[in-house]
Amino acid sequence: MSKTSFTQTKRKMIRHLTPWLFLLPSIIVLMTFLIIPIIEAFRWSVLDYKIIADTSEFVGLDNFKEIFSDDMFWKAFVNTILFVVIVLPMNIFLPMILAVLVNQKLRTVGLFRVLYYVPVVTPIVVTALMWKMLYSQESLLSTLIVKLGIVDSPINFLTNSTTALIAVAFITAWKGLGYYMIMYLANLQSIPNQLYESASIDGANGIQQFTKITMPMLTPSITLVSVLTIVNGLKVFEEIALTTNGGPAGATTTLVMYIYDKFVNLDVSIASAAGIVLLALAIIGSLIQMKLTSKREDDLRA
Amino acid sequence: MKTKAGKKIFIYVVMIGITLVTVGPFMYTLFIALKAPSQGIYDGLLPTDPTITNFIDAFNKANFGTFLWNTIIVTGIAVPLNILFSSLAGYALSRIEFKGRGIVLTIIISTMTVPFQLYMAPLFQIAGDLGLRNTHLGLTVLQISTAFGIYFMRQAFLNIPKELEESAYLDGANRFQVWFKVAMPLVKPTIISLAIYTFTFTWGDYLWPLINTTESSMYTLSIGLAQMSQNFDGGNLKLISAASILTTIPSLLIFIWLQKHFISGVTEGAVKG
Repeated sequence: MSKTSFTQTKRKMIRHLTPWLFLLPSIIVLMTFLIIPIIEAFRWSVLDYKIIADTSEFVGLDNFKEIFSDDMFWKAFVNTILFVVIVLPMNIFLPMILAVLVNQKLRTVGLFRVLYYVPVVTPIVVTALMWKMLYSQESLLSTLIVKLGIVDSPINFLTNSTTALIAVAFITAWKGLGYYMIMYLANLQSIPNQLYESASIDGANGIQQFTKITMPMLTPSITLVSVLTIVNGLKVFEEIALTTNGGPAGATTTLVMYIYDKFVNLDVSIASAAGIVLLALAIIGSLIQMKLTSKREDDLRA
Repeated sequence: MKTKAGKKIFIYVVMIGITLVTVGPFMYTLFIALKAPSQGIYDGLLPTDPTITNFIDAFNKANFGTFLWNTIIVTGIAVPLNILFSSLAGYALSRIEFKGRGIVLTIIISTMTVPFQLYMAPLFQIAGDLGLRNTHLGLTVLQISTAFGIYFMRQAFLNIPKELEESAYLDGANRFQVWFKVAMPLVKPTIISLAIYTFTFTWGDYLWPLINTTESSMYTLSIGLAQMSQNFDGGNLKLISAASILTTIPSLLIFIWLQKHFISGVTEGAVKG
């Protein structure tokens, strides 16, 4: 009798333990290299932490006061938001067009999907270096732009302070084309065909079908693409660090460049405070976007 | 009939035009890499006298072989571990009922919005304390189990019909056996997608290797390439182009090899997401 209750408790214990055994490796890894560092960053943001000497002093919100009174911080802040605002429409619409194109019943469509995805699997350092060459004044692209009459004489968009941020944003959009295309593609394939059939019976043309059926039905992936663009756009680093390095004259200095700069100078407490601002932006941006699109979804249902 | 053919031609023209945008930069870089010393970098589009000297120089002069080896080791550790750990955790969070599941899942999902740059300084310090600076293992710490991977695997496991697992339990299998023998084979497309994501991220990662690596013998391809480009306006653009092409090829090959599974895997994940 006692033996059976013993095995029962043992069995019960194993049953309770099993899920945690499954989780154990991930918990150890994520605790050490993700959760604890995040908590540390919050702690450092209210300290004056000297990383080499490992000494610290509580300073309250002084680090935040310091960055908020730093002109460079505000410049970086504005540039970051501008960057996201420039990338957002490109990321929403260009991949959508690509997805519609590669969703057609053509024999070669699989090949084009692969060709459009190539920038996504390209290492970001390679992407940055390639575009730096393409933007060069002497490159084919510059010659082409002059020939098309867009500009009078060849210019390097990366070294011009009015165009640098747009030029960098274009690199980011280029790299994301295929990634977001796949998201739209998945969504497109879930749209029932009957909708298009009845629309064409009613005499709707291709463009009308796109604006009245495709676009509204894509709302879930528009939300997803927007949130990802905001979260990833705020983190942009390599495209800038390896092309303009924040210049010319701070025109492409974003929050991440600012944080990196502080980190390199071992101002880790300031870097942490600026990092928290970055996190706040990511959360606020995602919430606004989700709110906007959920309203749009409600409108559609009504 | 005529307009239909015309429409088809138009669509093809548009699709090929877009291909020039997505693949054109690579062709341009490849052409520069193939140019001989006698030809200027921006002289004409095509190499007049194609040569592979620049590719050989990348190995001989630029230490490309060491960077390649480091990158292979780091990726070779990260990809299998991320698949193993993320699928174990994702399985528990989707197929096993237990107290605390909701909170664990919430914590994992919320970490996905936290930018790496917020915690890179503390991570740098922790890696130093654990003796992970300038080590291959140290370069994998961001990828050996990821919140994204766990979430991605969980979404895939949610779609498995319960009956398949139940019959395995009736045959006397335990949780781990069911996970490995029943559930894992059913989510193969997702595993392949996660493998590609982990591969491309680790292969091309820049910021973490940049701060965690101080010795050039531990550089990955990304860091080596970036270092090479520091004197960008010098005469080494052809060498950089050759190294860039070489760095991209493994990523491309793996993607082309696995893309059939990949596209369907992404499709499932994205709809749920």
